[in-house]
Amino acid sequence: MKSLILFALLMCIFSRPVSAQDEDSLRVSVKGFVDTYHAVRIKAPNDWMSSRSRVRGELTLEKGYAGAFVSANLIHNTILKERSGLQLREAYAYYSDEHLDVRAGRQIITWGVADALRLTDIISPMDYTEFLAQDYDDIRIPVSGLRLRYSREKWSVEAVAIPVSSFFDLPTDAENPWSVGPVPIGSEPVHKAYNMEYGGRLSFFLSGIDFSLSALHTWNKLPVICNGVGEYRRMTMLGGDVSIPVGKFVVRGEVAEYLDELQSGGARAASTNALIGLDWYAGNDWTLSAQYSHKYVALGEHRNTGLSTLRISKDLLHNTLALQTFAYIDVTNGGVFNRLSADYALNDQLHAIIGYDYFHADSGMFTIYKKNSELFVKLKYNF
Amino acid sequence: MKKIMLFLVVCMLATSEMSAQQLTGRDVIQKVRDRPDGDTRYGEMELTIRKKNGSTRQRKVTSWAMDEGKDTKKMMFFTYPGDVKGTGFLTWDYDEIGKEDAKWLYLPAMKKTRRISGSSSKTDYFMGTDFTYDDMGQRHVDEDTHKLLREETRNNHKCWVVESVPVDKHEIYSRKVTWIRQDCLIADHVEYYDKLNKLHRVLDIQDVKKIQGFWTIQKMEMKNVQTEHSTTIVVKNTQYDVKVDKTLFTVAKLEKGL
Repeated sequence: MKSLILFALLMCIFSRPVSAQDEDSLRVSVKGFVDTYHAVRIKAPNDWMSSRSRVRGELTLEKGYAGAFVSANLIHNTILKERSGLQLREAYAYYSDEHLDVRAGRQIITWGVADALRLTDIISPMDYTEFLAQDYDDIRIPVSGLRLRYSREKWSVEAVAIPVSSFFDLPTDAENPWSVGPVPIGSEPVHKAYNMEYGGRLSFFLSGIDFSLSALHTWNKLPVICNGVGEYRRMTMLGGDVSIPVGKFVVRGEVAEYLDELQSGGARAASTNALIGLDWYAGNDWTLSAQYSHKYVALGEHRNTGLSTLRISKDLLHNTLALQTFAYIDVTNGGVFNRLSADYALNDQLHAIIGYDYFHADSGMFTIYKKNSELFVKLKYNF
Repeated sequence: MKKIMLFLVVCMLATSEMSAQQLTGRDVIQKVRDRPDGDTRYGEMELTIRKKNGSTRQRKVTSWAMDEGKDTKKMMFFTYPGDVKGTGFLTWDYDEIGKEDAKWLYLPAMKKTRRISGSSSKTDYFMGTDFTYDDMGQRHVDEDTHKLLREETRNNHKCWVVESVPVDKHEIYSRKVTWIRQDCLIADHVEYYDKLNKLHRVLDIQDVKKIQGFWTIQKMEMKNVQTEHSTTIVVKNTQYDVKVDKTLFTVAKLEKGL
């Protein structure tokens, strides 16, 4: 706990706005937050589901076209004690001129236009230590690699190479309320050059439409159970995404073909993944967003699965109070996970957030968490 | 010869009287819109939001703009407070009526850029302030019908008083009355009336200076007279014709950040 406070103090002391506009001088920028999050199960035994405090520090150093970015968490977790300590998130060096942007190091790479669903956005995996009951931006796991991007006014092309892959963090420890069960996870692929991930994305940004084409030679980063063990295998993704604004709406779409994807039981087969989404900027600080994602596997008995999301948000009191509900709906099995939250800005720096995570499922992906409905509170100080 | 001179003077007087009479509300608003402001611009804004009870909140924004013909491209980043620091907006504003602006929003926490609606947010208030997105941008002249009401002196400035009624009845105001300074073609005072024709908001431009030869607003306050909520904007470090390449106004640079 002492180190947590010391880290927070250091980040506050070195918190300075970008002070110099001179390209030849060293520019230093620091930002971050301190937050504390606690959640209690609604149903008996009403135990604590989460209890953690942390400091996030983000440091950017830049001189001319070159720079470096480091982001780290210092965490004190009372429930999952092994999660306490210093956790490096991103650490990369970059070169960025008018057209070229190169990043090398540990970084989060996001692709696609889907909201909280992953079709083409499969480079940075997810941390499911507390399932989806964390902020979505905390869930992404950085990958160590190289990203090159060349951009012009209306298009950009991006290439990525990830020598050593990162995989989903799945809790299997019975002590963790978010455990997926005692599933043995097989070893990750050996760190050899031939196991490298690589791919590219070509994007266009036009006055009435954005669209991208992408390809990635990768792995199934969420282990698939084969003979009782979670396994990883090679696969190739070919995909595309599109966003079209139409008046107060934005229509989003994404497709991804996973070639040679590992399926339960060990067979390999192609799967087709498609998503359609609609955002409605209704005015008066209302935003509504709905998505439907469908997966078709060219093998087995259960070839079709569907997952939907619904987000409704409203800002009140001159943007000091933000109300939001976000639901994942397992269309195939009828399960629901809904996060309802109210975020009140006490002042410029301090936010108080309360919320309710609701699970309902008799089968499907949310079944193991059907007794995990919880109330949570969070206090967050941004600097 | 005297007769010729007299005829010329009479002709000149008549012409000048006619041009003053022929100046329409639209002409005045077009003059305001055509006021020179350089091909590129840079500025830092501090927005102070004040509640009726006197408590305040702050927002800080850094922005760049570039004209491309009659269209304008803008890049804007929040620098304060911490929860929105790094959030960026990229806008391509099109002059052509009916052509939707192109807008992108970058959320640093999500590491993701979203294409957002180009037409929806115009009537929403900008980040909890008393300014709408429309107030912060440049409204097309023909989105309102304008009527020159009179000329009068206000705060020692000779002004045109123009009433503007929105063509689109979904706008948040039913009409606005603008006092436009004739010396610098910048509003001195604007009154916005709600759908019931009651005074709703009042904008006062409190400080105007010439920077690099261009008239520039330094400070303004928008007050909601019905709720007594107000927002003051102080503009600092304004620079015109700054050296920026059009590659600044791209999604790649939006994601790169400040």
